[in-house]
Amino acid sequence: MSDAGATQQQVTKENAGETQQQQVVKEMEFEEKGEAERGSAPDEVVIAISPAFGDQMHAQTLTEIPHAAILRELFAGLEEEGVKARVVRIWRSADLAAMGYDAAKLSGSGISISIQSRGTALIHQRDLVPLAPMELFPQAPSIDLPTYRHIARNAAQYAKGDSPSPVPQVNDPMARPKWQAISSVFHIRETEFVRPDEKPVELGVTFKGR
Amino acid sequence: MSIIVGVDIGNSTTEAAVARIGDDGSPEFLSSGTTMTTGIKGTVENIPGVVQVLEEATEAAGIEISDLDLVLLNEATPVIGDVAMETVTETIVTESSMVGHNPSSPGGKGTGVGRTVHIRDLENGAPPEGPVIVVVPQEYDFEVAAGILARALEAGVEVQAGIVQGNDGVLISNRLPTPLPFVDEVAHVEKVPLGMLAAVEVAPQGQAVRQLSNPYGIATLFSLSPEETTHVIPIAKALVGLRSAVVIRTPAGDVQSKEIPAGSIKFIGENQSLTVELEHGADEIMNTLAQAQPLCDVEGESGTNVGGMIENVRQTMADVTEKPLAEVNIHDVLAVDCLVPQQVVGGIADEFSIESATGLAIMVDTDRLLMERVAETLSEKIGVPVELGGVEANTAILGALTTPGIDVPVAIIDGGAGSTDGAELQKGKPVEHVHLAGAGNMVTLLIKNELGLERFDVAEQIKIHPLAKVESLFHIRHEDNGVQFFEEPLEANLFARVVLVTDDGLVPIDTKHTLDRIRTVRQEAKRKVLVRNGIRVLRHISPSGNIRFLNFVAVVGRLGLDFELPQMLMNELSPFGIVVGVANVRGELGPTNAVATGLIVNYCRRRDDAT
Repeated sequence: MSDAGATQQQVTKENAGETQQQQVVKEMEFEEKGEAERGSAPDEVVIAISPAFGDQMHAQTLTEIPHAAILRELFAGLEEEGVKARVVRIWRSADLAAMGYDAAKLSGSGISISIQSRGTALIHQRDLVPLAPMELFPQAPSIDLPTYRHIARNAAQYAKGDSPSPVPQVNDPMARPKWQAISSVFHIRETEFVRPDEKPVELGVTFKGR
Repeated sequence: MSIIVGVDIGNSTTEAAVARIGDDGSPEFLSSGTTMTTGIKGTVENIPGVVQVLEEATEAAGIEISDLDLVLLNEATPVIGDVAMETVTETIVTESSMVGHNPSSPGGKGTGVGRTVHIRDLENGAPPEGPVIVVVPQEYDFEVAAGILARALEAGVEVQAGIVQGNDGVLISNRLPTPLPFVDEVAHVEKVPLGMLAAVEVAPQGQAVRQLSNPYGIATLFSLSPEETTHVIPIAKALVGLRSAVVIRTPAGDVQSKEIPAGSIKFIGENQSLTVELEHGADEIMNTLAQAQPLCDVEGESGTNVGGMIENVRQTMADVTEKPLAEVNIHDVLAVDCLVPQQVVGGIADEFSIESATGLAIMVDTDRLLMERVAETLSEKIGVPVELGGVEANTAILGALTTPGIDVPVAIIDGGAGSTDGAELQKGKPVEHVHLAGAGNMVTLLIKNELGLERFDVAEQIKIHPLAKVESLFHIRHEDNGVQFFEEPLEANLFARVVLVTDDGLVPIDTKHTLDRIRTVRQEAKRKVLVRNGIRVLRHISPSGNIRFLNFVAVVGRLGLDFELPQMLMNELSPFGIVVGVANVRGELGPTNAVATGLIVNYCRRRDDAT
């Protein structure tokens, strides 16, 4: 273990008793691997990220959850179930369903997770019509990191042909009045990064700060 | 010439048959109708249902209710049945000595033995001596936990396995130099006693723990004496069939498999009274019942579960019939054993254990007065004379005799929701009939409890529909392994689910059970209740108690509509050399409407006899 590991350990000890999962990873680096191809491995789930996800717009969601932390939880949820993750950046649209649908078509298992910069997510399957995903998580402000882990776990189970119970969602009646305007602005900003003619790009992900 | 209607009020459905009686006294059937029964059978609450079915049937015949000359009601004899279930064993864990559960993804595989140590103690102070089992609470992120463990291993601590609170077992195991077994999703990990000798076992995928579900396996790991080994049997039993398990050796900790005092039942027969304990199981109860025949009444031990249950039925019946409580006699009891999942008391991972339970169906006699009251009230309401047209069993036989290819001597099995009835007709003899406790509702109750379902109606749906597994959004595999393809993709909520194949399409079942398991439970429930009752019925009505003396057996009622039961009965009865099949009333209605049709046939016969 390196020195970095040792400092990490210090942080952990001080904070033991509260959840430090959110403090573990704040940054990541992407490595572009060229145009994403259609996978053939039945044990992969494709994670579709929106045009600005991870490297624009402060790389955090509406509720300031770092995008890196979200990706790490998604990876963990898939790995716990023994399923591989492949990250693809969708350029042609920032629309959640369109991204998920495109990614499901690329996925070897036919299952994809789609996530926008503001934090909204869904699980899609390639045989479904674009606007009818497997599971939809429309209220980004109510989604915390354990929920992202759970979303990935469910996606992995769908990929394995299991039928998990849908991820429980917090329904916060105040989320709409409180967040709707900000959320819309957030999304309008994100759509500015859309490149309509660009193909999806496969990304390698390295988490930093560990 | 007159137009008459036969109306059969059953426990769950009310059926009607409309016929025109010709001048020669022979009936010409015009139409029939079916609707849900309103209220408890034999009470005035039935009338809205009767009126509805009359409207339905008369409309189909193109006439009005006022055109009717006579309505015949069945003389519904017994049958208020009730079903209930009591668990007779429970598993209690003291001092958190055991964790046994099926997390979806435990980490690593194999067995580890050592002293339990909190993960924080691996970094603070002196490293623990000897082999250890590490306890990881949720606050430790998987990467942090794996880092601590890797350093501890490097420092020479003999970490053997782990008990993890979060769903991080695989994640931690994957990050170690060599994978170790981790039991995860242990909800109450803080209850795990520290510094105690413990064993962790994770089975390979698709298998169950072997060492910890074997008393000698536990004895080997903990060096137990033969005397101590006898105490770990409940632990081993509780861990059978699980993917991962932990056993902790605590000074006083124990797992008990305890019998709950469920109470005893007293059968009061004409000749002798016998008492049997509920926890002795269904076979013992049914044997005792057989010895006490003919049965006058049944009592439950007061102050116990079974006592309360039996008195409850008696009370309901007394309320309905307005008879004094003491005059309500229980006529028959059907006991069935089953296994139900129950939460383990004192468990630390919200474990479930499979416990024995006994289900009881109870039936009470009613009397003719009741139906006369219904008839009077109905007559006032619709302005048409209403008569009681004969005992249900006799009319059911007459209805069944309209089936093509059937002849006397004939026996029928009439299964409904509350009771299984039987009748037998031989030339020149009065009809023998019997009503036994336990039918469709009992099957539903068994399915609900064995599968641990929360809702009765889900179990009811499972009972009456075949299953299929959605293999992709374009094809399903039926329970007989046949594949069906679809042009359009199925709904997303059906993905990978076990579904019911209903007339309204595929309906997903919200359960983790596999198709095979659900099917086995469903068929076993039908076998334990309906097939067994069918045979009991035939034994009761056949002249010498021997089924071989019957020639024709017809299945009528809703029982005959079941998609698999007639075949199950046929398999069971064909060795006796009797023709058994589903009746086809009037050659067109299938097994339903037998009583309603029989009421009309009976009416014509009585007129013939009179003239």
